[in-house]
Amino acid sequence: MARILVVEDDTQTANEITAALGDHGFAADAASTGREGLLKAAAEPYDAIVLDRMLPGGLDGLGVLTALRAAGIEAPVLILSALSAVDERVRGLRAGGDDYMTKPFDFLELTARLDILLRRHAGPQRETVLRVGRLEMDLLKHTVHLAGKPVDLLPREFRLLEYLMRHPGQVVTRTMLFEEVWNYHYAEPTNVIDVHVSKLRRKLDPDNNRPMIHTVRGAGYMLRAPD
Amino acid sequence: MRLTDLPGTTSFRLALLFLLLFGTASLLLFGFLYHETNGYLMRMADDWLQREQVGFAQMDEAAFFDRLRAHVIADSAAERPFSLFDASGHRIAGNLLGVSPNLVVSAPLDRPFDFAVVTNGQTLDYRGMIHRGPLGNLLLIAQSASGADRFDAVLIHALLVGGAVTGLLGLFGAAIAGADAVRRIDAVTDATQRIVAGDLSQRLPVHGRTGDLDRLVHVINGMLDEIERLIQEVKGVCDSIAHDLRTPLTRLLAGLERARRRARSTEDFATAIEDASVETRAVLRTFSAMLRISEVESGARRAGFKSVDLAQVVTDVVEFYEPLADEKGISLVWQPDGMTATLPGDPSLLFEAVGNLIDNAIKFTPSGGHVEVGILSDPRCIGVEVSDTGPGIPIEERNAVSRRFYRLEQSRNAPGTGLGLALVSAVARLHGMDLVITDANPGCRITLVRTTSEQPDGI
Repeated sequence: MARILVVEDDTQTANEITAALGDHGFAADAASTGREGLLKAAAEPYDAIVLDRMLPGGLDGLGVLTALRAAGIEAPVLILSALSAVDERVRGLRAGGDDYMTKPFDFLELTARLDILLRRHAGPQRETVLRVGRLEMDLLKHTVHLAGKPVDLLPREFRLLEYLMRHPGQVVTRTMLFEEVWNYHYAEPTNVIDVHVSKLRRKLDPDNNRPMIHTVRGAGYMLRAPD
Repeated sequence: MRLTDLPGTTSFRLALLFLLLFGTASLLLFGFLYHETNGYLMRMADDWLQREQVGFAQMDEAAFFDRLRAHVIADSAAERPFSLFDASGHRIAGNLLGVSPNLVVSAPLDRPFDFAVVTNGQTLDYRGMIHRGPLGNLLLIAQSASGADRFDAVLIHALLVGGAVTGLLGLFGAAIAGADAVRRIDAVTDATQRIVAGDLSQRLPVHGRTGDLDRLVHVINGMLDEIERLIQEVKGVCDSIAHDLRTPLTRLLAGLERARRRARSTEDFATAIEDASVETRAVLRTFSAMLRISEVESGARRAGFKSVDLAQVVTDVVEFYEPLADEKGISLVWQPDGMTATLPGDPSLLFEAVGNLIDNAIKFTPSGGHVEVGILSDPRCIGVEVSDTGPGIPIEERNAVSRRFYRLEQSRNAPGTGLGLALVSAVARLHGMDLVITDANPGCRITLVRTTSEQPDGI
């Protein structure tokens, strides 16, 4: 079970986050100040840290992050912030953060991003061929085969599928898809993504009898090999 | 206005300062003129004395007395009197009376000197020269200094009269300028106090277009326009928030109440909770959109500006929305033609703005229509325009549609937060662009355009 440290000064928000993480199957601890967060992170090996950008008492989120990295603690850090300016995001990521989310956020988005962070942290992917069930993607030749038959995809559909195939069995939110596949940062996920996904879904399953891309209600999508 | 305010005004003080400077300069000029003229008159007198002395020196005794007699007769007014004295200084002949023997004996020979003579209780100034004539007599050649004295008197008189006139005129001018300034400042103060008291429709009074005070007043009036607009907008937004959020919150509450009354099974509750989540998400989305608009309007994101190719952003947006247009049977037309339109900006915000425009165009265009996207790129302006074959926007509502929560009658029930164009407008302003709505006949064309000479307004 992955252990997550939540550093958040607002008790109620912290409780909601730890509850959501617990429901998702993580073991979550909370710290209410930067100092406490730093001490906890140094004392126990956490798999990931959710860090509020604005913390009271002198040591704010970026300070904690810098101290953590200086102390050699390499757990992935997801920064939560009320500040959504691009340079804020850049500052957060430059200080050693691995992901950045703007408040107010969706808990499903948070857990989905943590899943990705934990997976990414487990080891970099250097495969040239991705496989999920009977679906096979050759990253060098830029080809996709389903049960040995070639599937014709537009370049953007290819990148969309690549991202889904890199995270099989995980919830991928619209915002994540938008950021990773289109390379723009959107605060508000847009339903237009659904149109792209359903086009891709039809190409992978024209007869609609062996669905691979599943819609997760209120959250996003998940690619899973049909049973 | 009170007279005591006058010395405090800038115009009055400036006028006084100039008066003082002018007076000093005039005084210096007068002094210089006086000095030069006096020196000149003195030199003229000395030259004449010298010439006469040389003349007498070359004469024999008979010619000497003839010349003396002839001169005394001619110079009856004693302007240039000659007198002859014996060796002890007593007058023998001549028309200069009352000279003390002492002076004659002690004066240097053949060199000009100043002296005074008292006759009939009147002191007369002279410049003269003593020359030793034949038989050891002393000849005094003199010239009255009254001409130079009269010149001095005229000069001082001119100085006094001129100075008085200048001073009076200057003071009068300063008072007029000061009074004008006081009157205008009073008017501005009155207007400002009325504005402070809450009447935001008041404007500061303007006299012309060019004066320095008028320039300031114009700028301040512009600022007041902007403040009034903002306050109106804040009022409008508060009303709209209350109005627009009441509907979903009422629905949310009604759903929850219904669940409490009627729900029996776990599934009933699950459905009610799901419905409530959907409503709440919509409310949250509205709030996020509002927060984003304020964030964009605060200008903070300008700090992260980089060089953005608008054509590239449009290409990405069009590619993003193409499937949606396809699905509705609308053709989305965009010909990049290898054009570039570079401006400093935030690519994500520009994507969102152009995306909103295309999204709206697709939403309001009936099936079979088309949405056309174009780039404006010439030395004078940079921009993007989206035109559709939808119903268009009535001319009287074009200003209102970019307001928060404003919706046209025909789109009252269309999905959306009513904040799309407000966000587009905020993003446009952040990038120094104007949002312009025109007719595309049929349909409407929305243009975001930035004239390149114009910088985005500072923070």
